[in-house]
Amino acid sequence: MRELAGKLLRMDRRVIFVLIALATLIPLLHPIGFPVRVSPEVKQVYDYIESLPPGSVFLLSLDFDPASKPELYPMAVALLNHAFKRNLRVVGMTLWVTGTGMAEKVVSGVASEYGKRRGLDYTFLGYSPGGTNVIINMGQDLTAAFPTDHYGERTADLPVLQGVKSLRQVNYVVSLAAGTPGVESWYLYGKEKYGFELGGGVTAVIAPGLYPFLDTGQINGLIGGLRGAAEYETLIGMKGKAVAGMDAQSATHFIIIGLILLCNLFYFLNPRTAVRSGSLREAGR
Amino acid sequence: MTLFFRRTFPLLLTFLFGVAAAIQYYIPHPVSEAALTEVSVWLRIILGFAMILGIASLCHVHYAKIRTRVAGWGYSLVVYLSMLATVAVGLWSSGQEEGTGFGWIYTYALLALQGTMFSMLGFFVASAAFRAFRARSKEAAVLLVAAVVMMFGRVPLGEYLIPAAGPMAGWLLNVLNTAARRGIIIGISLGGIATSIKIIFGIERSYLGGRD
Repeated sequence: MRELAGKLLRMDRRVIFVLIALATLIPLLHPIGFPVRVSPEVKQVYDYIESLPPGSVFLLSLDFDPASKPELYPMAVALLNHAFKRNLRVVGMTLWVTGTGMAEKVVSGVASEYGKRRGLDYTFLGYSPGGTNVIINMGQDLTAAFPTDHYGERTADLPVLQGVKSLRQVNYVVSLAAGTPGVESWYLYGKEKYGFELGGGVTAVIAPGLYPFLDTGQINGLIGGLRGAAEYETLIGMKGKAVAGMDAQSATHFIIIGLILLCNLFYFLNPRTAVRSGSLREAGR
Repeated sequence: MTLFFRRTFPLLLTFLFGVAAAIQYYIPHPVSEAALTEVSVWLRIILGFAMILGIASLCHVHYAKIRTRVAGWGYSLVVYLSMLATVAVGLWSSGQEEGTGFGWIYTYALLALQGTMFSMLGFFVASAAFRAFRARSKEAAVLLVAAVVMMFGRVPLGEYLIPAAGPMAGWLLNVLNTAARRGIIIGISLGGIATSIKIIFGIERSYLGGRD
């Protein structure tokens, strides 16, 4: 048994790769559809958008690159669907240059599904260099920060931005972020000074770090990872890629849990372990 | 004179702009706001130039690798070729939307490559978890239990099998994690303030290049 434990501890990692691949593929091909429980932090974002009267200005900053697409793209789709359903004036933008094409595609794509007209119901401002300075610039004068939108139209002439001189006139900002600049930047350089309401959507890796901001009300809600996106899809009654991905995530999580438990079982069964622990104690002296 | 422009003048500028930016925050006067607007535009122009510096640095690093034929120098060649190809296609294709050459590179090269790189993480995390996540000490055991509870509670299957897993994971995030993170954030913020003060008053001068 102990010999076997030693051998299994030295298992070829390709075996683990195959297990993860199967755990991801099988549920994607044959989804089960376990119910998704909605957490309060996601519900708060949903409730705030629900509370906005039609015509309110909703700014969605897609601060991520293609690497984070699996987690944040479904979030963007769900939020845009909700905003367009509520007839909000949608303003899209990005602080990440590598996310520009992807961000434009999702904003214009969802808008066309609802028959929304560019410049009138929504606009995509695109990317502007400067990171956090873009936020300060927008807070001071939006048309100075973005003289034209992504399509070359003058922002001062856009009906969708009528009455929006700066971030002070924006009713709700949601930053979908995979790093910096992201949610924290929007709080520090934006909400703190210009007083708009802010929500966040981030990758699962970043989400735990933003809970202090949620707790103090510095952000009014938080959508974390693919799970958060699935929760939002559930709330708006539009089960998309995130809900479909939850079965795969369930399976991979369970594979990893199983591997961790096995690893510890083998670790304590392995005859070398006791020796190593002993030598560590010796070294400690 | 050279020393003045290399050391004194930048220190003076840093002091003036640092103090002015700190004071400006508390003065909501139109003149003060207009100054902030102007400075933020200038900052963005300067940051645009920083991109040129970044590209120059990237070229320099990879040229050195190709010149000295270090292991993996071929990848540096790929960096050069792909960068030049992207620039050429970007200049040639009018626009960056889908359907243009630049849009094609973005969708079928950058999107796919970055997506693949990030997806590989899942495989490596699983492999690393199997090899390294061991209860070697009490602290490691606590971390291990917390991780298992989190992984259980953050997926529908876990909540389906153990309904208490979801609220438990939520409690871990909202209470224990928040308390620890708050301490870290306060520490980082205090460090940031201290460093800023040191830079403004010229105590910290490493940004000048270290040639005093």
